[in-house]
Amino acid sequence: MMTQITKRNANKFLKDEYDDLVKNHLEWNIRILESGSKPHSIVNGKEVIMMCSNNYLNLSNHPRLIKGAIEAAKKYGAGSGSVRGIAGTLKIHTEVEKRLAKFKRTESSLIYQTGFAANSGLIPQLVGEGDIVISDELNHGSIIDGVRLTKADRAIFKHRDMGDLERVLKDSDKKYRRILIITDGVFSMDGDIAPMDKIVKLANEFGAMTYVDDAHGEGVIGEDGRGIGAHFHIEGKIDVEMGTFSKAFGVVGGLIAGSQDLVNFAYNKSRTWLLSGSHPPAVSGAQLAAIDVLETEPEHVKRLWDNTKYFKKELNSLGFNTGASETPITPVIVGDPGKAKELSNRLYDEGVFALPIVFPMVARDKARIRTMMNAGLTPKDLDFALDKFEKLGKQLSII
Amino acid sequence: MTVQIGFLVNPIAGMGGRVGLKGTDGVLKKAIMLGAKTVAPQKAEEMLREFCAISSNHDDLHWITCGGDMGNSELEAVGIKNKQVIYSPSGNTTSADDTKNVCKKLLEHHIDLLIFCGGDGTARDIFTIIDKKIPLLGIPAGVKMHSGVFGINTIATAKMLHEFINKRLTIGDAEIIDLDEELYRKGEWQIRLFGAGKGIVEPTYIQVGKAYFESVSDEEVKDELAEHINDELEKYPDWLFLFCSGGTIDYIAKKLNIQHTLLGIDAIYQKQLVGRDVNEEQILTLLKKYPKMKILLSPIGAQGFILGRGNLQLSPLVINKIGIDNIIVVATPSKLMHTPVLRVDTGDKKLDHLFASQGYLMVVIGYRLSRVVKLQTNSF
Repeated sequence: MMTQITKRNANKFLKDEYDDLVKNHLEWNIRILESGSKPHSIVNGKEVIMMCSNNYLNLSNHPRLIKGAIEAAKKYGAGSGSVRGIAGTLKIHTEVEKRLAKFKRTESSLIYQTGFAANSGLIPQLVGEGDIVISDELNHGSIIDGVRLTKADRAIFKHRDMGDLERVLKDSDKKYRRILIITDGVFSMDGDIAPMDKIVKLANEFGAMTYVDDAHGEGVIGEDGRGIGAHFHIEGKIDVEMGTFSKAFGVVGGLIAGSQDLVNFAYNKSRTWLLSGSHPPAVSGAQLAAIDVLETEPEHVKRLWDNTKYFKKELNSLGFNTGASETPITPVIVGDPGKAKELSNRLYDEGVFALPIVFPMVARDKARIRTMMNAGLTPKDLDFALDKFEKLGKQLSII
Repeated sequence: MTVQIGFLVNPIAGMGGRVGLKGTDGVLKKAIMLGAKTVAPQKAEEMLREFCAISSNHDDLHWITCGGDMGNSELEAVGIKNKQVIYSPSGNTTSADDTKNVCKKLLEHHIDLLIFCGGDGTARDIFTIIDKKIPLLGIPAGVKMHSGVFGINTIATAKMLHEFINKRLTIGDAEIIDLDEELYRKGEWQIRLFGAGKGIVEPTYIQVGKAYFESVSDEEVKDELAEHINDELEKYPDWLFLFCSGGTIDYIAKKLNIQHTLLGIDAIYQKQLVGRDVNEEQILTLLKKYPKMKILLSPIGAQGFILGRGNLQLSPLVINKIGIDNIIVVATPSKLMHTPVLRVDTGDKKLDHLFASQGYLMVVIGYRLSRVVKLQTNSF
């Protein structure tokens, strides 16, 4: 007897699911930058003030980074030829790691291909069956994906709530082998900071490991932008400081900083690190230059914070609600999702580029425009942006 | 697309409350003699007015209702025109039979959501006929509103309706709670789970892109809980699990191919049923054969009770013998949004104190995923 074969249309779902996203206005409309990512960028053919890049310090345009990239490419070539583990570790990769550890004031460090590769490669190795990951409820998606790859149990604590964290720790103490506490350093939606000093203290009481994703803190908070360890003066006391070169550092690449034991463990076990090609030399050259710049030119971090303070203060005096932000991520809370989208569109028309964040990324009634400060913006630029916020805020009856 | 809304007001609901009767079931005449005035029609109107204020477009809503103050007058009062009366009560005063008759009629129409105004008694009468066939949304107007289908107040109910019509809320399970009014008037407060109906719930979201979330159905979340419990059963093969009452646990049991008693407690050992709808005495007997037991609980009703309401078989003696560390509480995140606080009232001061000293409970909300939820006891 012949078995009837199902005749599938193998590719139909691709279009169907995309069409669904479009119908529900959930698709990504990719905007094209015809300039580099600059304080004044050309986005879809229009010059705008950039307030939604992660290029906090404007280092992606810094002459020393560009020079570092060119020189590394000239010396080592365009590509690395292999994964790090086999034949793709160039001397310049190890130089970055040494310099980074010194900058972070930790014993050692390791560069990953991206921040996502760091989280999704390392977290599943740190915990397994019989362990628990305790995570802030507002942690970034890449952490959640990393945790999904483990067989460990998971528990959530209320956002930045140390009482809640302690309760979970107490409950977990007897039940589990290892306990791993994971949190964002700077939370990307509200711009608030995890109380890392208190988390480390609690973790030490229970013998728990601490892991912070400092993607938005690296280059921004702490002395000369050394990140959350320096911010709380607890350098070297956080077990895993994870970060990225793609935001304030202005390049690309994930990183972890901590003990030599951590680094030895991490590169031997992280599948993302072992199975992806290593950074092209130009990337490493720019990374090295970025660390140089941070160590020798403190004005960038200072300007970022001066801009942030001014912009926040002026927004508040206009009557805008900027939430609980403590960092250059300043949300302008609008409330209604339709209004937030409208404000973003009109700001773009007026020459200010900032994106709306709506439910379910934030609560239904907390829709907002998320602005990200850039050290390269001048006082004139900020006044221009503030002027537009004021005008449109009034038009849309937000202020 | 037109949304068909069933609209039903129990005009006498809540009349007992003001005159201290704690319910109107069977005591309407006494309530009127004591000077009770109607509550529900006003509450229903309040909700409708609020809804009209926040929802600009209701042309695509079609209201199917009953005559007089069982729905039509309230819709008239706020100027809703797009409606159809399918039932008129026969006498001067309406009764539970009227409610049930309307429901039978409503089943003949394609109704997307049945909005009713009343209390737990009304919900119970409706559920008897509607079961899970139509999702319910209750405007609270009765004396008791423990069922999971009620909005917190008229304004919140209007918002829920608005969100539902705009497809921002979805359909999920909602428990119908019953309270013995005879006992209640004597000062005893005993609620029990009457059944699992459908209501509207806040969907659970999972992040599937950087800024792109998918809403997960109640069933999918409960599938995760079932998988979690399946793992627990395998992890503890020599333990007996007491599956308590409630829609969530019923769903988990069905997933594990266990015939479960929705309104009672079943004993499960190595995924097999070893005791059906057991009472306190039977649990104590089982404890002799299976000294290692775990209790699987889920909050019941709008107040978030996990112990002391609806599962009295779990007496203080039983709980003490099993140990409070062996209680597993499961709940869907959408349910916890309704009941952010869990409550315990075991009737035993010492045991309540033990729970109170913890102050919090770990609640399983997904596969291998839990969170801390505040715990309150009645005695403190």
